[in-house]
Amino acid sequence: MRRAELVFAAGLVVAGLVFLQEALRLPTGWTPSGPGPGFFPFWLATGFTLTGLVVLARTWKASHDPTKSFAPPGAWKRVLVVFLPMVGVVAFLHTLGIYLGGGLYLAAYARFVGRHRWPLVLAVSIGVPLVLFFVFERWFVMPLPKGTVLEWWLYGRR
Amino acid sequence: MDLARTFQDLLYGLGVAASPPNLMVAVVGLLLGTAIGVLPGLGGTNGVALLLPLTFHLNPTAAIILLSSVYWGAIFGGAITSILFRIPGEPWSVATMFDGCPLAKQGKPGTALTAAFTSSFIGALVAIVLFTFFAPPLAEVALKFGPPENFAVLLLAFGTIAGLEGGDPVKALLMTFLGLLLATVGFDIVSGSPRMTFGSVSLQSGVNFIIIAIGLFGLGEILLSVEERLQIEGMRARLSFREVWETWKLFPRYVWTLLRSSLLGFWIGVLPGTGATPASFMSYGIARQFSRRGSRFGTGEVEGVIAPETAAHAAGIGALLPMVTLGIPGSPTAAVMLAGFFIWGLNPGPLLFQENREFVWGLIGSMYLGNVIGVLVVLTLVPAFAAIVRVPFAILAPLITILCSIGAYAVNNQVLDLWIMLGSGVAGYFFKKLGYPLAPLVVALVLGDMTEQAFRQSLIMGQGSPTIFFTRPIAAFFVVLAVLIFLLPFVRNLTRKVRGPAVPAEAPGAAGS
Repeated sequence: MRRAELVFAAGLVVAGLVFLQEALRLPTGWTPSGPGPGFFPFWLATGFTLTGLVVLARTWKASHDPTKSFAPPGAWKRVLVVFLPMVGVVAFLHTLGIYLGGGLYLAAYARFVGRHRWPLVLAVSIGVPLVLFFVFERWFVMPLPKGTVLEWWLYGRR
Repeated sequence: MDLARTFQDLLYGLGVAASPPNLMVAVVGLLLGTAIGVLPGLGGTNGVALLLPLTFHLNPTAAIILLSSVYWGAIFGGAITSILFRIPGEPWSVATMFDGCPLAKQGKPGTALTAAFTSSFIGALVAIVLFTFFAPPLAEVALKFGPPENFAVLLLAFGTIAGLEGGDPVKALLMTFLGLLLATVGFDIVSGSPRMTFGSVSLQSGVNFIIIAIGLFGLGEILLSVEERLQIEGMRARLSFREVWETWKLFPRYVWTLLRSSLLGFWIGVLPGTGATPASFMSYGIARQFSRRGSRFGTGEVEGVIAPETAAHAAGIGALLPMVTLGIPGSPTAAVMLAGFFIWGLNPGPLLFQENREFVWGLIGSMYLGNVIGVLVVLTLVPAFAAIVRVPFAILAPLITILCSIGAYAVNNQVLDLWIMLGSGVAGYFFKKLGYPLAPLVVALVLGDMTEQAFRQSLIMGQGSPTIFFTRPIAAFFVVLAVLIFLLPFVRNLTRKVRGPAVPAEAPGAAGS
């Protein structure tokens, strides 16, 4: 737990320094049009880095408590099982779109993690994208990424 | 002010609004609005904008009733997904999430929903009464608010939010800085130059807080619940209308919170450029400061649901006031409605009250009726909404993820936002695990742009001298108030230390996670 806290706090300090560097590329002082665009970011990044350092120093001084662990055993696997497919859906958004990708994700998770029966899995993973499709694309005329596969199927080859 | 005359006008307006075609338009608008509020990514502003073309075929009175009903519906509906899934359906329901979701997790989704809807309704009612009787004088006062006053009010918001969620004040400060920093990403409004974009073109339009909020809360919550294998548990409580009644019985206790939040929300709404979102956060922060159970906020306090919801709805109504009386929109949604005014051939402003009596009083009348109908509609649906949480976790989790993605994508229609959402989800998971409070981050992100703009404009007005915040009486009042409120918890801690712990310290919120 302490190691995770230390690493995370150090990461925040590093992020603060990166922000600071980015802010310094802009005028931070008084300009003819009032405070420069870098004024706010500069002081915010400074404040962020300093408070990050305080957190880091305090964690460093705190004693190690071996009874506290960062995550319960087996947690990483369960978290990754839900998170990686999410990343996959976003990564393949261009091809599969939100409807097909989302449906596949729903089906896989319900079947292999939830161990629900196939009829239910199929009903949900086909029904949900269909409902979403009609609500967003038809009623509210709000186009969501359909993906090349669905577009090809709906509107033919371009 | 001629009271008798106002009453007469009001009765006339109620008559206009209650005519069958207008009433039907109101019901349709409310149902649509609720749906828009529930769906993440579709906001009240989008909803009103999408329906605007439809109103060309209606007479102006029916048109404004339709648009305003959609707006009320969206305000009611936004609370639903925040409470049940931690996905804010609307920006102003982010604050409702802080206590609404823990309540739902404790097996009381019905209580949380009822509290949200009912307080929304009460906030609306107080605001409408104020609107009816004080519209013109209030609009004049609001015009006196310049950048220094706005900055002072925002400072007040930060004062009330400092140390939100309890816990470690240093980490809260850190998160506030982070939120403000993220708010600076994108084009600088004053100089027009892109900043903090790290060379990315997509980042030039800025980081939308709703995307971050969806990631931090919606996705973060999923990651946390799979890890603990608890899943979204404790949600198998009995769901019936008795819960509605039981929740109502709690309300007399919160008269002060309701009144304060309504007045605050209404006023923030009246101020140009603000609106329901900052109002809800400020109201939550202030309620936390003043409540006796303030330290338990964030762990599922009913008061923590009541305060932001009351203010959000009151602000929604307040935002229409400067629009009708002066032609200045008080919120983004009001701005879209204002566009409608011109399309329907109306000129907003003081003359509107005289020249278009039917329109103005019809609108006011429909505010009363629309909110009464609205609260009845959503309350009858409470058991149905609450039943959603009974869906098995292995279906609910991917479903929430998909809704999160749609919501994040719909904001700007760009795929980069989905990556930002995924990143925020991971960040939210670590923040939560390591005890970094999320609320100050989101609040700072929401108010950041406004604060910086007000601050810089004030400094320009004062030619670089910060004394401008103290030489203008209204600004000075709010600055002093903000500082006092900021110091209040420290003073309280001190007196407690001097007097010794009279009351046993309440357990700090573990927030069930």
